[in-house]
Amino acid sequence: MASAVAAPGHQDRYAGLKRHEVILLFVLIAAVAVLAFRSEQFLTTGNLLNQGRLLVEVGLMALPMTFIIITGGIDLSVGSIMGLCAILLGVFWQKLGLPLGAAIALALVVGALAGFVNGWFITRVGVPPLIMTLATLALYRGLAEGISQARSVRGYPDWFFGLGQGELWGVPTQLWLLLFFFVISAIVLTYTTFGRSLYAIGNNEVAARFSGIPVDGIKIAIYTMSGLMAGLAAWVFVSRVSTTRSDMGTGLELDVITAVVLGGTSIFGGTGTILGTALGVVLIQLLKNGLALSGVKGDGTIVVIGVILILSILVSDLLRRQRGAEH
Amino acid sequence: MTSVPPLLRLDGIVKSFPGVRALRGVSFDVRPGEVHALLGENGAGKSTLIKVMSGVHRPDEGRVEVDGRPVDFGSPQEAQAAGIAAIYQELLLFPELSVAENVFMGHAPRLSWGGIDWDQTRARTAEILQSLDIHDLDPDTPVGALSVGNRQRVEIAKALSMNARVLIMDEPTAALTEADVERLFGIVRRLRERGVGIIYISHRLVEIFDLADRVTVLRDGEYVGTHEVRDVTEPQLISMMVGRTIDQLYPHRTANPGKVVLEAKSVAYPGTVEEASLTLRAGEIVGLAGLVGSGRSELAQILFGVTPASAGQILVDGQPVTIRSPADAKRLGIAYVPEDRGTQGLIRPMRIRHNVSLAVLKELARFFFIDRGREQELARRDIERFKIRASSMDQVVGKLSGGNQQKVVLAKWLATRPRILILDEPTRGIDVGAKAEIHKIMSELAAQGMAVLMISSELPEVLGMSDRVLVMREGRIVAGFDRAEATQERIAAAMMRSAQQERAA
Ligand SMILES: Nc1ncnc2c1ncn2[C@@H]1O[C@H](COP(=O)(O)OP(=O)(O)OP(=O)(O)O)[C@@H](O)[C@H]1O
Ligand SMILES: [Mg+2]
Repeated sequence: MASAVAAPGHQDRYAGLKRHEVILLFVLIAAVAVLAFRSEQFLTTGNLLNQGRLLVEVGLMALPMTFIIITGGIDLSVGSIMGLCAILLGVFWQKLGLPLGAAIALALVVGALAGFVNGWFITRVGVPPLIMTLATLALYRGLAEGISQARSVRGYPDWFFGLGQGELWGVPTQLWLLLFFFVISAIVLTYTTFGRSLYAIGNNEVAARFSGIPVDGIKIAIYTMSGLMAGLAAWVFVSRVSTTRSDMGTGLELDVITAVVLGGTSIFGGTGTILGTALGVVLIQLLKNGLALSGVKGDGTIVVIGVILILSILVSDLLRRQRGAEH
Repeated sequence: MTSVPPLLRLDGIVKSFPGVRALRGVSFDVRPGEVHALLGENGAGKSTLIKVMSGVHRPDEGRVEVDGRPVDFGSPQEAQAAGIAAIYQELLLFPELSVAENVFMGHAPRLSWGGIDWDQTRARTAEILQSLDIHDLDPDTPVGALSVGNRQRVEIAKALSMNARVLIMDEPTAALTEADVERLFGIVRRLRERGVGIIYISHRLVEIFDLADRVTVLRDGEYVGTHEVRDVTEPQLISMMVGRTIDQLYPHRTANPGKVVLEAKSVAYPGTVEEASLTLRAGEIVGLAGLVGSGRSELAQILFGVTPASAGQILVDGQPVTIRSPADAKRLGIAYVPEDRGTQGLIRPMRIRHNVSLAVLKELARFFFIDRGREQELARRDIERFKIRASSMDQVVGKLSGGNQQKVVLAKWLATRPRILILDEPTRGIDVGAKAEIHKIMSELAAQGMAVLMISSELPEVLGMSDRVLVMREGRIVAGFDRAEATQERIAAAMMRSAQQERAA
């Protein structure tokens, strides 16, 4: 056979990436159908919009987490960064007497800085991401608790609740924010040199480095982004629940990582899409809500999510193998 | 000889992959105590054929027989149980494990309660190494610390530990220096005397005449023919392989060196390179010879910023520069085609299109957005220019044949249009025809003013291509020869000599 250059076959080109998303979409539809059958409150516009409101924090953090996991890394500290930023937002405003706007901005800066510290140690000192962010998971949470002294901050002015409790064109305000970042992240990952570099790093970091890709800079950037988004999530969260406590976001990193992996991003790096992550986030939130509505207790919900996670990994692995065998 | 029944016989083997018919009715057999060479262009189907023999792939059609009985291997383990062991193009050892652990991976001697008998494992490894006349390999050394030549010996020992009667070697010499090649041949001959049937793939015809008893040629997945080696000549083999003759192995050209573009002054890196100095002029090809471990690749990686120099100075166009990363080097117009294509050169799970553009992403982008049209244009051009055999530019690089993967690495780096090109074993695993093409491309680039530094373990290639030859030993450049002075003997002598009486480059 001569060196044939076929036009890029469209099925071939997208098959690999989309299959997992398609499966997930079916799972999602099936789950919605079952849950709607079990509880009549579930499939109502009001409930769905409210669920949309609740998933925003996890959604915001899942976007940079997708980038990180694609490069073969992980960030366990996002829940703690969120807690730290939440408490600092309150403390900056109430204790330091800063204008609320400045307090928010400063809390975001701290979030970015917390992420930068992760990235810096991971790339410059060579600490594995799992270890580094496990350490900062404890460290940032400890800081949050030390600063808060177990006291919560409340009494925010009314305008502050617009983001977390208000609506814009009939849709929860924060959902627009998430949608905005969702679109940006999807574009960055699919069409830009930055996105391509992430896949390259995840598939073969050495070769990426040999190709002149600034691997360390890119990694620092994504961990910083992750911290920044955790800060943003903190702002949304405080605005939604009206108070600030230091234990906010505890354990949330698990929801975030579960959503990303459920969305088809390989924990070994190299593959994944933002669309998949979005589906993962939605599926988890709807499951939690639907199961709660149909009377399943919290523990039961976690079991169901765990089972779905395992199933989705098994199915996509099976498909990947089949494809591997064909090729 | 024909009366000896074959150990392994394949008949009418057909194997397709999506978009490619890799084998279209190939027959092959190997007898006890013979070396049977398998020859063909890149992508002809050699590796696929041996993967059928060793149980990696199941043929779509055709028969496989061992000792005259039909078999149907479902996995490499089944083939191993039948006495067929393979050493693939990409060595598959575990770098963190010791030699003994690698040799007996999966079939270690057991103690009565089922635990691994380590003493026995070590002793039997030592025994196998002894029987191969290998005395300088300690069963306890981690494999990651070994040279490529030694790793290969470990693979052979591993095959023998499973009592292989058929040993398949896919381009075993591609990564070896002459001295290692000699040792490998010694081992192969020894095995042949023991009655092992050996299947040997190589693009170096000299080796086939040196070692093989019979040779089978494949072209585009088709069986061309099998001959006794003593009945054929090199040109005959080449024309069987490529369907035409190649008249000139190395392009003839007159060098026209311009001004110095790259100068390294006493650069060093702890443990590998000590005070190496060289100059490189526009329009010349400089060959860098040396044994494995002499620091050639390490020197190249200093110049390319992978391991920035710990001492010394690098000048580009007479200006001192600091090169702390490959990105820095790229900005200065330096490109480096690395030695190890699997780990350093390619992103194997990604498509051809995405690999050839990886070093020029920025140039292909408008405001951070990759221009996909231009990317496809680049891939299309490269596939044509290097005659990369692929089903499409969307094929995953890891599924290309070895030589075609090498072409992708070359294409990727030439896309950066460097002024200074460092090539580390550029034609490793590339067939005769394609090699001549690549040599022609190198000459053309030099003629256009590119400065080329070529590391190669193949002395004929160094001699055929270089305007000047530098020799490295123990981390230093110990000799330099002009084209006229350079001979195989002189270079080899400089590579080995253990004293220090040469003039520097
Ligand atoms: N797993 C696979 N999936 C798809 N195509 C494949 C796969 N393995 C091999 N091929 C294709 O089959 C053809 C034969 O490949 P093979 O590796 O056997 O060539 P080869 O003769 O060993 O070449 P080389 O000398 O370059 O190593 C090539 O076109 C290659 O792209
Ligand atoms: Mg091959």
